[in-house]
Amino acid sequence: MTAGERAALIRLAGVHKRFGENHVLRGIDLSVAPGEVVVVIGASGSGKSTLLRCINLLEEPSEGGVFFDGHDITDIRTDVNQVRTHIGIVFQAYNLFPHKTAIGNIMLALRKVLKLDVEEARDRAIQELRHVGLEQKADAYPGQLSGGQQQRVAIARALAMRPMLILFDEVTSALDPELVQEVLDVMKRLASEGMTMVVVTHEMRFARDVADRVVFIDEGAIVEEGSPEAIFGDPKHERTRKFLSRVL
Amino acid sequence: MAERETSERRLHLLALGVFVVGVASIAGILAGPPAIITYYGWTPYEGMVTALQSDTAAVTAIASMSAGMAAIALGFGSYRRMPTKRSRERAIAGAVLGSQAVLLGAAFLSFRSGRVERITFHFLNIEKLDGSGGAFLRGAKNTLLLALGGEVGGVVLGLVLAILAVSKRRTVRAPARVYINFFRGTPLIWQISTGYFALTLGLGIRVSAFAVALLVFALNTGAYASEVFRAGIQSIERGQMEAARSLGMSYGQAMRYAIVPQVFRRVIPPLMNEFVILIKDTSLIIALGLQESQLDIYNFARRGYADSFNATYFTAAALAYLAVTLPLIWLVNRVERRLRSGLVGVTG
Repeated sequence: MTAGERAALIRLAGVHKRFGENHVLRGIDLSVAPGEVVVVIGASGSGKSTLLRCINLLEEPSEGGVFFDGHDITDIRTDVNQVRTHIGIVFQAYNLFPHKTAIGNIMLALRKVLKLDVEEARDRAIQELRHVGLEQKADAYPGQLSGGQQQRVAIARALAMRPMLILFDEVTSALDPELVQEVLDVMKRLASEGMTMVVVTHEMRFARDVADRVVFIDEGAIVEEGSPEAIFGDPKHERTRKFLSRVL
Repeated sequence: MAERETSERRLHLLALGVFVVGVASIAGILAGPPAIITYYGWTPYEGMVTALQSDTAAVTAIASMSAGMAAIALGFGSYRRMPTKRSRERAIAGAVLGSQAVLLGAAFLSFRSGRVERITFHFLNIEKLDGSGGAFLRGAKNTLLLALGGEVGGVVLGLVLAILAVSKRRTVRAPARVYINFFRGTPLIWQISTGYFALTLGLGIRVSAFAVALLVFALNTGAYASEVFRAGIQSIERGQMEAARSLGMSYGQAMRYAIVPQVFRRVIPPLMNEFVILIKDTSLIIALGLQESQLDIYNFARRGYADSFNATYFTAAALAYLAVTLPLIWLVNRVERRLRSGLVGVTG
């Protein structure tokens, strides 16, 4: 069910990324349609995080184009800050601002980037905290929250910008096992609400349950992509089978 | 069983005894001599000499040292056998205090057998200070004013320089580096004197020496503070900048709202440390011809020494510096602890 080129919200075309001698991405072509949940799987060091970070230009592709809503955002004249307001990202290490409370974390960009007034920003922040089930923690500092709670605040912070797309970069990898589920539940809910998501994860069950499409990446290239049933049930490539046999 | 209990109780008592004797020994040597001097009188200095040379003083010192040695012998001899941690720590503390009392006592005895009269006359001659209390206060005020002005100006300048210095563009970094390295690479006393002469003689600007000093302290502190800020900025995890940029903030916004507030929290202790250093460096205004009313603590003491040929002024200057710096050092430690707790934002 690949969406037509024109309808793609995000499209990577021939993206390469080199860090010096290290050729991390070797020609990635990937389209994500609005409302689609794409889960990227692959071994550590396969380039999946770099791929994700190329989408909001945290990494600048060495070669190739990144099209957001039809525009090539690797063009030097693009207002990257403007584009990034439409693309949320949640990190493995949460990256909440430790000097701000939960609600302060969410309100900061609403105030300074979207220029909302205080009341509007606060209302929206509370709404998103409720969305992730943490409105009672609004005034807590990140240091007072558990890892799972911090990650949910980080998701609320991304959601509050009303992005067209959210990227998830191994968001449960730093969590204690018993805290993983609360974060996955929030992500599942977002998916069911129709949010467009690109998810890099090691959680294969999540991939199987939630993904519209699973992309397997190895040594910087997409080896195989398809529905979860196809990838997990009947992988075509030897490398996919090998990887899945190791993680399942 | 009962036998063991008795022996344990005896050890606990011994530990307590060692601790009490240790405390008594150090208290004796610390409080004894001042008490004796107070009895004979701190002024005139002859009274102090009599007090220090009295048999009472010698007996006090020897008694303290004997108690100290007893605490050392009993404490170090028994601490391994102590049945509880608490008793062991008591025995060790008593023995350590005892050793300190012995060292201080020995120092006191050797001082007492030396040229007490001379040293007392020159360094502890309180009478000679008579009437200079107000001047010392003014010196302390000038010292604080110079240091505070220099520090505030330096912090503002330092933050700006640091932000330039962490730019990814070489053309932006270069001037900041030149400035920082120049002011870190030349002596402060050279900056003060040359700055003054360059402004007054060279450029013909009518400016007071005090104002020049203030300006140079700010320029100099700016260079050092910028290195503190730079290290602070670079110590913030990369993810913080990435998170801010991902939310659509510009580099400048990310710095201002996400990075710098965190940096301030981390650099307050080293900056306050710089401030304590600056307090002492204000004495370098010696390079300028200042009026009586503009002198700092050290230069006031020098003038007092020159007028009276008595070094008690320097003793008093040390006390005056400590009166300014010790509360500050205490404050630094408190602030540091508060910030370490990690729950309070500096900017609210």
